[in-house]
Amino acid sequence: MQESGIVLAKVDELLSWGRKNSLWPMTFGLACCAIEMMATGASKHDLERFGCGAFMATPRRADLMIVAGTVTLKMATRVKVLYEQMAEPKYVISMGSCANKGGPYWQHGYHVLKGVDEVVPVDVYVPGCPPRPEALIEGLMVLQKKIANERILRDKWVKNA
Amino acid sequence: MHNDIASLINSSVPGANASVVNPPEDGAGDSSVLVDSSKIYEVCEFLKTNDKFPFPVLQVISGVDYVEYFEVCYMLASFNLENSYQLILKTQLKDRENPELQSVVPVWAAANYQERECYDMIGVRFKDHPDHRRILCPDDWEGFPLRKDYEVQKVYRGMEVNPEAKMNFEDREFEVRKKEMEADLLKRQLERGH
Repeated sequence: MQESGIVLAKVDELLSWGRKNSLWPMTFGLACCAIEMMATGASKHDLERFGCGAFMATPRRADLMIVAGTVTLKMATRVKVLYEQMAEPKYVISMGSCANKGGPYWQHGYHVLKGVDEVVPVDVYVPGCPPRPEALIEGLMVLQKKIANERILRDKWVKNA
Repeated sequence: MHNDIASLINSSVPGANASVVNPPEDGAGDSSVLVDSSKIYEVCEFLKTNDKFPFPVLQVISGVDYVEYFEVCYMLASFNLENSYQLILKTQLKDRENPELQSVVPVWAAANYQERECYDMIGVRFKDHPDHRRILCPDDWEGFPLRKDYEVQKVYRGMEVNPEAKMNFEDREFEVRKKEMEADLLKRQLERGH
């Protein structure tokens, strides 16, 4: 193979492999979970090892939204707009108890959305308050497995053709 | 110091009715000066500009709901190196339906955000405020969250605030049931004792 320079693969698998190893998350932090997300991206834990380190400052160029922190009702409308601005295919990781289900604000938090899945579809939930960087990395790897198993050409193009 | 300030206010601002409120002897707390709500602007202007106890700094304005009345507290300070001191200035608003105070933004610019927060949380309106709107809650939010009789709205912009499927009512009522069980146990023990 090295001599001939030929690699054999299915187009679908190759696409999924490429997409899973170059996820571009959005620069988007809401509360204390965002500090852990920054730590995950920094040198000690280094999200870039998994091809997920290019934090984009605009939703147009990102394909992963890490909802890191408490989603208030005031912010929820903005989160929805940001999600809709992202280009397909797009993925959402809900990071931390607050984004998962309201966290400590589930009973008396009048201003907190009880889980970000009320407004956007979530692919992976990462529990913790806040989750350690290792937990976020595991969440990311679960998402990568999910993407690796996607057959985007077969499911979206060939079937609809 | 509080007595001096109260008498100074009374001699300079007629109708302010300044009085010193001391904490109970065994209780915690600080002394404060209570003034009439209709003269709050004049009192604040006097406290900032007088020669004996000038207060150039406004630290906090906070509202408290005591059910019978609203109380608005102004925490004033002077950070003069030779003579630094603080004062808690309080005023009471008996009208629960339409609590209104004169804004002190012309006296201390720092009052701008503080008064907006007080309006946002307690619902006290500030007359002649330059930018009178909510500061933390969304502009179209209903009600004032720190009032004692506050009930949160069901839906905000199509989003359910407390979705029934996500509320764990068993956990919520666990404490109540625990208390009932404890009372039951105590009752049975007493019956057995007799």
